[in-house]
Amino acid sequence: MTVPPPPLLADGGQPRQPRERIERRAIAWWMLRSLLIWGALLAALLVPALLWEPLRVWLIAPLIAAGIVLLAKLAVEPWWRFAVHRWEVTEHATTAASGWLVREWRVSPSSRIQTVDAVRGPLEQLFGLATLRVTTASSAGAVTIAGLDRATAERAVARLAVVAELTEGDAT
Amino acid sequence: MIPQAAPGAATETPESTESTQHAEPVEGTGWRRLSPRVIWVDAALSALAVLPAVIAVRCFGVAPTLTNLWPFLAVIGLGVVAGITDLIRWRFTRFRVTAQEVERQTGLIVRRHRRVPRDRIRSVDTSAKLRHRLAGLRVVTLGAGQQTTSGEEALALDALSRAEAVRLRALLLGERRADPGGVPVSRPAPVPDRTGAAPRPPTVTGEAEELVFARFRPAWVFYNCFTIWGYLMAAGLLWGSHWFASSFGVDLFSLILGGLRAERLGWIPTVLLILVGAGLLGALALAAHFLVTNWGFTLSRLGSGAQSTLRTSRGLLTKREVNRDEARTRGLSLTEPLLWRWIGMTDTHLITTGLSLNDPAQPAAILPRGPKRVAVAVAERVLGEPSPFEVPLPRHPNAALLRRIWWATGLTAGLLAALAAPVLSGALPVWALWIALGVWPLGLGAAALAYRALGHAISGRYLVVRSGLMNRSTVALQREAISTLAIRRSLLQRWLGLSSVTAMTAAGWFVYEATDVSHAEAFALAERAAPGLLAGHGAAHDRAGR
Repeated sequence: MTVPPPPLLADGGQPRQPRERIERRAIAWWMLRSLLIWGALLAALLVPALLWEPLRVWLIAPLIAAGIVLLAKLAVEPWWRFAVHRWEVTEHATTAASGWLVREWRVSPSSRIQTVDAVRGPLEQLFGLATLRVTTASSAGAVTIAGLDRATAERAVARLAVVAELTEGDAT
Repeated sequence: MIPQAAPGAATETPESTESTQHAEPVEGTGWRRLSPRVIWVDAALSALAVLPAVIAVRCFGVAPTLTNLWPFLAVIGLGVVAGITDLIRWRFTRFRVTAQEVERQTGLIVRRHRRVPRDRIRSVDTSAKLRHRLAGLRVVTLGAGQQTTSGEEALALDALSRAEAVRLRALLLGERRADPGGVPVSRPAPVPDRTGAAPRPPTVTGEAEELVFARFRPAWVFYNCFTIWGYLMAAGLLWGSHWFASSFGVDLFSLILGGLRAERLGWIPTVLLILVGAGLLGALALAAHFLVTNWGFTLSRLGSGAQSTLRTSRGLLTKREVNRDEARTRGLSLTEPLLWRWIGMTDTHLITTGLSLNDPAQPAAILPRGPKRVAVAVAERVLGEPSPFEVPLPRHPNAALLRRIWWATGLTAGLLAALAAPVLSGALPVWALWIALGVWPLGLGAAALAYRALGHAISGRYLVVRSGLMNRSTVALQREAISTLAIRRSLLQRWLGLSSVTAMTAAGWFVYEATDVSHAEAFALAERAAPGLLAGHGAAHDRAGR
């Protein structure tokens, strides 16, 4: 925080990429998560299709669709997300770029921060990862940064807590 | 059954307190009771509950057996139980206004002690049902801008005498009005007005500067009686009257059906007749409902500058008054349903923090559903000139239309693909595919309509965005109220060179979006929508702007 960061908008009105990248371990985390969710769905479709003949014809299209989604979630999404996701916490704002098919670039100024959390789900704990959640007064306006190292997330939380304390007002 | 000692209640209630006919100061402590007229009203209601049974037996000669009279007995039972509950509630409820807080204790078995800091109170609303109005009572509800999801008012006092309600509102709102920033400032304790003498000065000024923006017009009825809910209303009415008539020994349904059968109209005319009849009945019921709830509607501003409130009051039998703190206002939205756009039907909602949009009482609606011209005029007076609803909203790029066409086509293709296997194997007839194909032109029409609804502009303090297919809503959102900005692009949007700019705020629906602007413009729009937020010194700009 010694050198002030360059403004988020470069000349010409295009945004600068946030500076930090996320952990490579997040790829494995996303893969495991997709396998559990979409694998379970695929199994839930597959079992009745195998057991009950008349239902089979109705389940072909959903089965193919679920299979394609699972493949994409395993082979494409994690790598793509890893390439896209970026984040940055400065004393002025928290910025995050995320997504794969739908990409999002989100910024929330420090003056509007209300709570800062580091969340660690069971799978994330397995990989030593944490998700940083910076919420504003708007219930829709949270900036979520997934796939951070646990220690990095804790540091960011501590820093944001200091920054948010410095800014006055009720942040609505 | 021993009432718990309320946490932090420094004072005790002396027991012998029944004194004047209104407003009950419990001597020496500032604690007050609700109006004792509450009890008389409930006693009268219990007596009224007996009336239907008496009429049924006396005038209609219904035999007084248990089978015939159980509905009436249930009504009597409910009336008496309600009366007793209210008596207990009155006996065990007390409240007081201290320098910092409003406190209320209530409940016999479960004692509740609630305290609301006075500087958090954002609204003081009064309402009165017919029985309250007859007895000169008002229900006072304090709103403290709690999370809109909790769906609970801060504190309700049911009920006070009218004079007491006016005094309480003046005390609480007048107090806040004198307090510019909403920041808690320690000041000498204001003495709650116990004597019932002249109201405090802030009331006088506060009540005097009433500026009326809109008044009820009977023509608005036509905007409120043709909705699909009319059929539900008609069904409810028919069922209710059937039930009612059957307890007098009349079978309404077989009467109507017998009448229809006698006409020998054939199937289709009969169904049409029932539909039209029920529709008319529903429309009439909705019209009556609208008149009863909105009669005497007025929208007015009290006070001026940053410390003003927007007040609506309406109702023929139940009078509802809602006061909205304008310091909490973040904008305004006008919503036009697709089917009635040709007559300019418009809903007007305030975008404000602390008022729920899901509340069935619609506290954020500052006008009943009515003509657009009135809504726009009111918007101009509420938001000030120049009205953000008057600015022209340029068309979005053609790529936005293309995106909608792609979606309509893609959805049709997906539907066809999903039906392909069942049709090929003979599980579904071939015409199912034609129906699926029929979705396509509908989708294309919807695409064109949705595209034409798009628009965005920046007008003075406001970001204006418009979108929506079935309900086209035009939103003017204060630019300094934006707390988070997001720019989103799907794969298709990237390919077409489009972006969606989303502004998030603490008020209203929380998310307002300029959908499908050209990507080259997106970040510039975001920067102009929330000045300084992207430039990296959002904090400084933002504070200076308030």
